[in-house]
Amino acid sequence: MSAGTALELPELVFEGGIPGFREARRFALVQVGDGPFGVLRCIDQPGVEFVVVPPMFFFADYEPEIDDDSAADLGLTGPDDALLLVVVNVADDIARSTANLLGPIVINPETRRGAQVILAGTDHKTQTPLVPA
Amino acid sequence: MLVLTRQPNQSIVIGDDIVITVLEVRGDQVRIGVRAPRSVSVHREEVYAAVVRANQASASPAPKSSLDALGALRPKRPPA
Repeated sequence: MSAGTALELPELVFEGGIPGFREARRFALVQVGDGPFGVLRCIDQPGVEFVVVPPMFFFADYEPEIDDDSAADLGLTGPDDALLLVVVNVADDIARSTANLLGPIVINPETRRGAQVILAGTDHKTQTPLVPA
Repeated sequence: MLVLTRQPNQSIVIGDDIVITVLEVRGDQVRIGVRAPRSVSVHREEVYAAVVRANQASASPAPKSSLDALGALRPKRPPA
C-alpha cells in the first residue's frame, strides 16, 4: 500500500481483540488531519483508542516478518496486501513519543480484518522513540 | 499450579488438542515445543506481557493538541 493512501476504514474486525483488550473486536481507523497519523478507535469499547502510524514514515528499515498463520488468518497472500501500522504512545513531551515495533498492527483492507501480531525472534521493542533523542 | 516431572521428548497434553513437549534440557535452559490449534496464540510470557503493558499505556484518547503536535514530527522528506 502506498504512502499516500488515506487511513480511513470504517469497520475493521480484530478477531479475539488485541492483547490487554480481548473484548475490543471492532475498530474504526480514522486519519488525523493530513496524516500520516491515524486513530484506531474501538467501536465496542468507547474510550479505547490508539494512535497509529505507518512505520515507514519513521522507521524506514523496519520490515517485520508476519508469521504464516497470522497472514492466513487475515487472508493476506503477500506483503503488498497488508496495511502495516504501529501503535504510538503519545508522550506529554511529544518528541519523546514512542512506537511499539514488537507488536505491529496488520490490516487487510480487502477483508477488513486486522490483528496485532507479536513478532517472534526479533529484538524489536515496545517503546522505540519515534525520533532519535 | 499443577506440577509434572517430564524428561526430554516427553509431553503433556492440555485439553484435546494442545501438546507441550520438552525437547531438550541444557544447563538452565529448556527447549519446549508447543503444538496447538491456530486459534490458540502462543507467546513467551514476558513478550506478551510487554505488549499488553504497551497497549494499556497507549489506549487513552490523545488530546487534539497532542495529535496536532505529532503531525509536526513528520519527517521533512517522506519516503518515496
